[in-house]
Amino acid sequence: MDLFINLFINGLATGMLIFLLASGLTLIFGLMDVLNFAHGGLFVWGAYSGIFAYTWSGSFIVGILGAIVTGFVLGWVTEKLIITPVYGNHVQQILITLGFMLVLSELIKVVFGPNGIPVEVPSYLAGSWEFGEVILIKYRIFIIFIGFVIFGIFQYVLKKTKIGLIVRAGVMDKEMVQVLGINIKRVFLFVFMTGSAMAAFGGMLMAPYSGVIYAEMGMEYAILGFIVVVIGGMGSFSGSLMAAILVGLAGSFMAYYVPYLSLAVNMILMAIVLIFRPQGLFTNAKEG
Amino acid sequence: MGQEKYYSLKNVIFLIIIIALIFFPYVADSRTLTILMTQVFIFSILAMSYDILLGYTGIVSFGHAMFFGIGAYTTAILLSMYDNTMMIFLISIIVGMIFTGFVSFLVGLLTLRLKSHFFAMLTLAISGLFLVVAEKWRTVTKGNDGFTFRAPDLFRDRVFFYFFVLVCLVVAFLVLRRFVTSPLGKVLIAVRENEQRTRSLGFRTLHYKVIASIVAGVVASLSGSLYAISLRFVNTSVMSMDITLDALLMTIIGGVGTLVGPIVGSFVIEIAQHYLSGLANDYPIFERWIIFFGMLYILVVIFFPKGIVGTVYVKYLTWKSKKSRPQQPKQSVPLVKDKERLE
Repeated sequence: MDLFINLFINGLATGMLIFLLASGLTLIFGLMDVLNFAHGGLFVWGAYSGIFAYTWSGSFIVGILGAIVTGFVLGWVTEKLIITPVYGNHVQQILITLGFMLVLSELIKVVFGPNGIPVEVPSYLAGSWEFGEVILIKYRIFIIFIGFVIFGIFQYVLKKTKIGLIVRAGVMDKEMVQVLGINIKRVFLFVFMTGSAMAAFGGMLMAPYSGVIYAEMGMEYAILGFIVVVIGGMGSFSGSLMAAILVGLAGSFMAYYVPYLSLAVNMILMAIVLIFRPQGLFTNAKEG
Repeated sequence: MGQEKYYSLKNVIFLIIIIALIFFPYVADSRTLTILMTQVFIFSILAMSYDILLGYTGIVSFGHAMFFGIGAYTTAILLSMYDNTMMIFLISIIVGMIFTGFVSFLVGLLTLRLKSHFFAMLTLAISGLFLVVAEKWRTVTKGNDGFTFRAPDLFRDRVFFYFFVLVCLVVAFLVLRRFVTSPLGKVLIAVRENEQRTRSLGFRTLHYKVIASIVAGVVASLSGSLYAISLRFVNTSVMSMDITLDALLMTIIGGVGTLVGPIVGSFVIEIAQHYLSGLANDYPIFERWIIFFGMLYILVVIFFPKGIVGTVYVKYLTWKSKKSRPQQPKQSVPLVKDKERLE
């Protein structure tokens, strides 16, 4: 039982980190239908710039803010330079965003050096609580908490506010919203920037969790993000959350019980979901 | 456009290029260049096979590396288990093709029912599973470390191998061109343009897509076999996502929906890779040469949105139509294949 709880908490924390990454992708890939392979690059830039701000100022919160600001700025640059010319054309999106991904992750090596950077958890989040055999690592609890908060905020903004309404309407019918006098281009720019900021934020939180950051981590996690968005159902926030938790839990339990399958678990999960429920696990819509 | 003439400009250009390539190893004095060109040919075959899916049938697959990898592993394993003779090598190509044909048939049946994104992600998942198998089945594949093997003696001679690959490329090109101009190929193009309408015309589109997937897989397996011979070494990297992405990028850069495009694309990418990484030795600014490589992709999308061959072809057509019939610019419009490829 104790083992179960430990594995459960680990899986949940990993799942939440994946959710933070995937939530940006849900906005960009799920809602706006942009195949953004540069998402991993934004993730890495968030991690590096956040850690830079963190070591420079000594405050973890400043680090997080630094990451988010970097995400917004890079999101603006990406949308203006890279995405605008290729809206609606997936083949070109793949090419141009992969190119930008290469540029981003190599620029990391130019600016911060090619070696991995070790990262420590801030002192007030380090350590753990122990209840008998159950060990609760504080940073993991913190991540789980943040994950749920972010989920709540996004759910609220998308479902209850006017801007959320505009975004959802814009996804359904771009021209119609434009006709109603709303600058849909600006709305999409804003959505894209938010998605990028979420990626950067996820990267920053990932850094102390994995203990070291390196330029290649972007692509690995980006693929994980795509998997989660697809499993959860395109454009569904609650779907992404559930799928991310599922992926995290499956990874954590499989790594313990059937270690030789742990490499394949995400792929198996995705294959099963796509074969039997291609519209995503947690959506009702009958499409796919 | 009517019957194609044997002496058309296109065929003459092809002939000139092939003759130039035949004399290339005798003119180029360095062995490196010959090996580089061999590499270009091998990836051209791979990219052409990918274009059958992407350019002609309009489906984006993220799992092409598995076919390439199966070919490479079949050749490597057979050559190391038995003798390193030419006979075994040819048998290994055939075995690899049959095996990939079978795998792509099953995978196609399983995946091709799905729409764009979902299909792409499912192929990614299945090729990921193949990668894991290659990594874990250590008794046969030696895992990530890979293993070396002896190539047939004839292939010791790099020039001979160059010609062998060149012949493979030409044969693959001619066969695929026959394939895409056949009635079957026309149906594939119809599927790309509008799958629903093709289905309502009475074609079982799933069957045609499975056939396209088998053809693409078999040709990719050939290029995998050649790749293994060219390195005389094989490890799990032949199954990795990078191979798929390379094929994808070569196809897009060259121009989707043409068979020449992938060849041009693989030429551009391999040469750029070679020279940019070579420049790093001389100029420290090129140490991070991948940045320039990434910029190349971005510039291609902005300036050659239909790929190099596609853009040049469209330019040529508008120039021609302007010259012959200045009053009818609309005639050339249907040839612009900029329909959205994924939906």
